[in-house]
Amino acid sequence: MSGGWVAKEMCEQGFKVAVIERGRKVTVEKDYTDFVDPWDVEHLNRKTDKDRKDYPIQSNVYAFQSFTKQFWVKDNDHPYETADDTSFIWYRGYHEGGRSIMWGRQSYRMSEIDFEANARDGHGVDWPVRYDDIKPWYDYVERFAGISGSMEGLDILPDGVFQPPHDLTCAELDFKASVEESFPGRRVIPGRVANLTEPTQEQMELGRGRCQARNHCFQGCSFGAYFSSNSATLPAARRTGNMTLISETAVHKVIVDEATGRATGVETVDIASGESKVITARVVFLNAGTIPSTMILLNSANGNAPNGLANSSGMLGKNMMDHHSGARGTAILPGNLDRHTFGRRPNGFYIPRFRNHTEEAEGFVRGFGYQGGATRERWWTSMGKPGVGADFKAAGRNPGPWRIGMVAFGEVLPNEQNHVRMHANKTDQWGFPVPVLDVRWGDNERNMVRQAIRDTRAMLEAAGGIDIETDDPETAEPAPPGIGIHEMGTARMGRDPATSVLNSWNQSWDIPNLFVTDGSFMTSGGCQNPSLTYMAFSARAANHAAELMKEGAL
Amino acid sequence: MVHDVQLHRRQVIQSLIALSAVGGVAACGGAQESSNGQVAGQAAPGFFNASEMALIAAVAQTIIPMTDTAGAVQADVPVTLQNLATDWGDTEFQQYWRSGLAALDAALTTDAGDGFTSLSPSEREAALAAYDAQVFAGTVEDGFYRDFKATVVQAYYMSEPGATEELAYEPVPGEFIGCVPLSDFPRTWAT
Repeated sequence: MSGGWVAKEMCEQGFKVAVIERGRKVTVEKDYTDFVDPWDVEHLNRKTDKDRKDYPIQSNVYAFQSFTKQFWVKDNDHPYETADDTSFIWYRGYHEGGRSIMWGRQSYRMSEIDFEANARDGHGVDWPVRYDDIKPWYDYVERFAGISGSMEGLDILPDGVFQPPHDLTCAELDFKASVEESFPGRRVIPGRVANLTEPTQEQMELGRGRCQARNHCFQGCSFGAYFSSNSATLPAARRTGNMTLISETAVHKVIVDEATGRATGVETVDIASGESKVITARVVFLNAGTIPSTMILLNSANGNAPNGLANSSGMLGKNMMDHHSGARGTAILPGNLDRHTFGRRPNGFYIPRFRNHTEEAEGFVRGFGYQGGATRERWWTSMGKPGVGADFKAAGRNPGPWRIGMVAFGEVLPNEQNHVRMHANKTDQWGFPVPVLDVRWGDNERNMVRQAIRDTRAMLEAAGGIDIETDDPETAEPAPPGIGIHEMGTARMGRDPATSVLNSWNQSWDIPNLFVTDGSFMTSGGCQNPSLTYMAFSARAANHAAELMKEGAL
Repeated sequence: MVHDVQLHRRQVIQSLIALSAVGGVAACGGAQESSNGQVAGQAAPGFFNASEMALIAAVAQTIIPMTDTAGAVQADVPVTLQNLATDWGDTEFQQYWRSGLAALDAALTTDAGDGFTSLSPSEREAALAAYDAQVFAGTVEDGFYRDFKATVVQAYYMSEPGATEELAYEPVPGEFIGCVPLSDFPRTWAT
């Protein structure tokens, strides 16, 4: 996600870039399965025992299908551990493009409210930037990536450079009307998603086409219609002639010349042969993903940096965040039985945060947003219905009632206790230390998800929902760490080298030619899907590094 | 508005059908194609024996008969179930299905001792309709029959005739429209 942006920006600035990817190269022909028909799917898409053995964790992720296994790691090859009585579900794929192939594409800006949050309630340290510093970069990455969305004029969720939004369905329009009437200040808007609804010339020149409303994005898209490193940033980098992609090669350490205090390159391991090789560079960007980048820095400890490279603050690996999800709700929304949808929207609706914003909250700071959708029930309901014969079959032809489903994504507070560390002695087959994750959610997360459940129920009731099902607001727990798949914060940026790993340019305080622009830099997590923010900060940091290099500072 | 959609849709599909066909085959080829080629009636070799396959075919076809579109047998549901049990199912699944089918066979045998597969289509429908009603009313407890029916229905609607003739299937819709008259697209979408 973020690495492709750094490669594009630096290549376009005229610098030679080595993109080191631990996974294999990905091609449309070999890896994408977005033209699979239902009758091509083996064994009714049921997971095999071998799947559960090879992918005990990955096989549970939303996008793990019999025809998308190629995008998820075999867990047994990539072990990690969790501290006693904690859990962490780590979903990932190691291949060219990483999770930018399988991501949910929801793309939201953080707001001034988010960038001020730590300073206002004292959790974590103050962001070293504000919204106006990042706004031009949000514009820049949105224009290139292509984000479909509606202009809403909300301070909690700033508008952006949008291509036309997806329709809301008839049931969602009614739901929107009742929610906005019953709860003034709340908004139900089309999701903002990185799928092209009106491709620009620039996008078409990269071979990208308009989204065909198939909703097969998790299978890879042969039209390049959603943003991924594979469809957009890497092709842009490649076409400059300045990029070299070195795949099936994992970075083991960042090498530093202890005399000059500068990084001189990275020590890598060839995944197939195990052969170690050094690749030198003027500047090193780490974009391996929050946990892998942090592990590389921890593993790069040396005489001057006994606790890990760039870790003079001691914050490396700490303040691990994700978004806790929960407050699932579903119901039947009566009416609209003479209406239907056409096409498969790779998106849903979004309800921006209202708690601790336009509405008060008890027992927690910050807030949550919702993602959801309402469509007509389909044939699977016949699997559990009485009846046999022609009448049973005929009834199955008719679309069922409209069913709404929604889930909340809540902000997790930065907390030094939540951390990732290197296992004392265990390594994987390539000699990398095994990560140990020690992350627990606290009262803020618990109270927040319980409030979200009450709000879910109230909105479904206000919309006249029947057969409403939600978790129990008195006993529910937030989903375990990792389920949000937004690991963040373990190399946070800040204003003070004593309490942060990076400065306001994603640049290491300790090693001037070392930058980190994946989720590790996040000083707070907001409640919005963070990938768009990683992209904006990556483009900004890469251009800043390019300036320093042109000035000779780096 | 909708007319344009159909015009546009046809163009999109025509320009992509070659790619789709090639992509579909390349993406998953192998056993699924060859097993479809067999005549549905023949007992596909595998875990279920001939009499079990006959019962599966008879009950499945009674649940979803031939109408203006394919029934369960024409849609190769029995073959899909045979592949599921043979290639995917573990011993626990296989035993559950073997014992479940035996019990279902007994439950559907008439008082005069006639087995389900020996009945005429209308006799089969009467016998199965009665049994199905009892199970779904809760007067008879038969978890296996519920699983059997759910698998038959899933296998049917995921089959090519089930998805493309009985229901509506758009491999490449071309665009999303959030609210259209049901009369324009009256059938449930297959995907």
